[in-house]
Amino acid sequence: MKVSNVRSLLVYVTLLIGAVISLFPFYWAAIAATNESGKVFAKPPVLLPGGMLFENIANLNEAIGIGRVMFNSLFVVVIYTALSLIICTMAGYAFAKFRFKGRDILFGMFLLSMMVPYHALVIPLFKMMAAWGWLNTYQALILPNLAYPFGIFLMRQNMLAVPDAMMEAGRIDGVNEWGLFTRIILPSVKPALAATAIFLFMFQWNSFLWPLIAVQTKEMYTLPVALSSLFGLSRIDYGQVMAGVTLATGPIIIFFLLLQRHFISGMLGSAVKG
Amino acid sequence: MRTKAYVPYLFLTPALGLFAVFMAYPIIYSFLLSFQTSEAGEMVPAGLSNYQRLFSDEIFLTALTNTFVIMVIQVPLMLFFAIVLASSLNAVKRLKGVFRVSFFMPAVTSLVAYSIIFSIMLMGDGIINQLLAAFGIGAIPWLSHPWWAKAALILAMTWRWIGYNMVIYLAAMQNIQESLYEAASIDGASRIKQFFSITIPQLKPVILFTAILSTIGTLQLFDEPYTLTKGGPSDATLTIGMYLYQTGFRYFDFGYASTLAYVIVVIIAVLSFIQFKVTGDE
Amino acid sequence: MLKVSKLLTLLLIVSVVLAACGGNNENEGTNTGAGGAADEKVELTAWAWNVNVGALNSAMELYKKDHPNVELKVEDIGRLDVYDKLSTGLAAGGAGLPDIVLVEDDRIQGYLEAFPKGFVNLSEKGFDNKADSFPAFKKELASKDGQFYAFPFDAGPTGMFYRTDIFEQAGVNPETITTWDEFIAAGKTIKEKTGAQAVPIDKFKDDALFRMMLNQQGVYYFDKEGKIDFNNPQVVKAMETIKAMGDADLVKDVNGWDGTVSATIDGTVATVPFGAWYYGTIIDQAKDASGKWGVFQLPAFEKGGNRASNLGGSSWMIPSESKNADAAYAFAEYFATTDEVQLIAMEQHGLFPSLQTVYESELFQNDVEFFSGQKIWKLFSEEMKDIPTPYYTKDYALALDEAVKAQADTFNGKNPADALKEAAQRLADRTKREINQ
Repeated sequence: MKVSNVRSLLVYVTLLIGAVISLFPFYWAAIAATNESGKVFAKPPVLLPGGMLFENIANLNEAIGIGRVMFNSLFVVVIYTALSLIICTMAGYAFAKFRFKGRDILFGMFLLSMMVPYHALVIPLFKMMAAWGWLNTYQALILPNLAYPFGIFLMRQNMLAVPDAMMEAGRIDGVNEWGLFTRIILPSVKPALAATAIFLFMFQWNSFLWPLIAVQTKEMYTLPVALSSLFGLSRIDYGQVMAGVTLATGPIIIFFLLLQRHFISGMLGSAVKG
Repeated sequence: MRTKAYVPYLFLTPALGLFAVFMAYPIIYSFLLSFQTSEAGEMVPAGLSNYQRLFSDEIFLTALTNTFVIMVIQVPLMLFFAIVLASSLNAVKRLKGVFRVSFFMPAVTSLVAYSIIFSIMLMGDGIINQLLAAFGIGAIPWLSHPWWAKAALILAMTWRWIGYNMVIYLAAMQNIQESLYEAASIDGASRIKQFFSITIPQLKPVILFTAILSTIGTLQLFDEPYTLTKGGPSDATLTIGMYLYQTGFRYFDFGYASTLAYVIVVIIAVLSFIQFKVTGDE
Repeated sequence: MLKVSKLLTLLLIVSVVLAACGGNNENEGTNTGAGGAADEKVELTAWAWNVNVGALNSAMELYKKDHPNVELKVEDIGRLDVYDKLSTGLAAGGAGLPDIVLVEDDRIQGYLEAFPKGFVNLSEKGFDNKADSFPAFKKELASKDGQFYAFPFDAGPTGMFYRTDIFEQAGVNPETITTWDEFIAAGKTIKEKTGAQAVPIDKFKDDALFRMMLNQQGVYYFDKEGKIDFNNPQVVKAMETIKAMGDADLVKDVNGWDGTVSATIDGTVATVPFGAWYYGTIIDQAKDASGKWGVFQLPAFEKGGNRASNLGGSSWMIPSESKNADAAYAFAEYFATTDEVQLIAMEQHGLFPSLQTVYESELFQNDVEFFSGQKIWKLFSEEMKDIPTPYYTKDYALALDEAVKAQADTFNGKNPADALKEAAQRLADRTKREINQ
């Protein structure tokens, strides 16, 4: 009995150290957000909150209009996640539960496209958006990655595990194809939906290069683009930047907390079959 | 009752349509670009010259070597510790959720925060070296010595992605039957032995999955060298992803940059194929 | 039957995609078709970063008094982000670019050579008449083949920002430092008495001090003909001087911009060599140190040698695709050549003007309190006329990359001349340029 107590204490200590290392930078950013700009550099480091939080947020708001920027980011990420989830789920369903001509080639194509570095695609994508007059629009931010290969992959892997017998039973009961998808398949892959949603949310929320290129006016800036605009050659207000960083981290943590229980089991399905 | 043959295509239509326009087109476009070069601001056909250039481009070779060194060390190291972390977490009963979220958090960091915080922490007299000094370890020239700079990149990447992989393993571990461990315990196998003889073999498909994801991530690696080392000192941390960016956006050679992109694609494809073969999955 | 439905589905996809493209093409046509006639309302767009945005907006307020029909919309973009956007836009044939864009001087030639048709020729619009108000080096940076493509704006005359309290404590009088050798000697005294190192250098990522030293000596990465000049004895001398500082343990290795600022604040270095624009950082980040700062010019390489140099500075350019090129020209010229505008930029936004007529004004004669009452603006403005022209060329980014490597190699133990020689060879391989022996 004693041995196992010691062991579990050790495990907890290891986990605790790991958690501290993982979280420390977030703590630091939050502390910096409550202090004067120069304090990030203080030696010994300032590790306690100061009284500048509201001033820093006010400055940040003046510089980038935090309300508008937050709205843009949230709006884009919510619409994107919802649409992409539907599209990826439908595609994953087709790949997992049907045999059809070209299936493996098409699926391979999606997987291959994950391997192309994004930097190489920015210019053609930009050219296209410019030709259509879509620069500086929400659709320019939302559309390009809706068919997110990793999302399709995740959904397909999870659906492979759904027994075909369930579908057959449905067909015999006269459920139509759409009904099979929405009433039989979707409820049984809820956790996978949560996992995929988290990936999509993360991807879009932190996405930087494409929004930077595609957006033309301040009213359309997303958070990462707006935060980056706070960097000049010589003037950087660190308190202000860190206030922005802290605010930017909030929504994604909340989203993760809401879905994390399902997330774990959703990831489970992804590995069922290589 | 038979399904109509067009049904799967209907489900695929939205994804395929979007893919064709927003992925396939740019991919083909940039592929064509890789056979072109810029002359006085216009793109002109250049045949295979961009591809030939690869063989005499020492910086490309350096970048390739760096990328491989980082990958060969970082990916197994991170995945191993992610499994260790996951099985520790799997063994505890309290605070599971808190730990899970804590470890996952670095994967959601914004790049801006990441670069400021790490550049301050890794300074010669920064907090990391101060901490090491408390244990009697001399200051480490993070970012300034060719080897330490690679080590710093590897540490930073591990910090960022270990929790992400851990969560995936954690999920897979719930699929391992408890009876396997019970049987092993009765046979007197130690925890460590159980870890190697049960946990790891059972996780094989997931390990393959994460290994391929990490391989893709490392070969496209850009964020860390861009924010932490700028590829230095003396190209010691220049990755292909970073070189691609510089070539296109700094040196305005978009043709050659596209060539580099397709070199990355080929390498990833080959490596993924090998990984599949080695683990013997379908 | 099956085949027909398959075909239909495919057609559906194609038509949906085509409809999406086609439909929006038409929209685009009507949107951009509305050009601006002479006294119609014109809305100019500009890309700039940080304090420059404020300067541009202040200027527009003044400008609007006589040009009520002109509006300006400035997009505040991160400094390095501007280049990613600009490069993408130019590579895509000029799409989505603003009417006015801020470009740092060391990047102008790169853009002009890579995209020769990318920017409006300002000489053709009459800028040559106005050009004499700017110092020679700034004019050369803003032009190519004798034609102007950029409106000179701010500059970065260099100085050694130093901590008066540390110098006093060590008993060193900055006025006695006139050469780099004397600087190193003084640095040793300071190190011994106070523990503070002489200068911060981002040893492995940036060569700012090296560039200042090159510019000061009238040399740079390339000579006037565009040949690689790394083997020039003066270039080698600069690297050797930096190495000597390193060998005497006078260099604090700092990590990136954040590291430099950190060292500036915490008093671990006695001096920070930088452009005049560093003033803004010092007063922002080191608020507690008011009255403890001073400036002196870079030491010379030999007694009586040149001490003037420049680091940084930027100019405005007009992309050729601008639909309001004339209005943009008129405003940018007003911005660049109006004393009042430049004074505001200086006073409110800390941007040191290159327009020489401004230096007569009172502001440049004032004592600066934060700097112990020193007339630092007078010092910087008098320096401007002596600054030699650095030759950046289109391969500047590559040369910078190689120079930083040479500096890194030097700090890692290589002989400066050898490090530079190897860098020159690598640069020659990458640029197909000749090397000056």
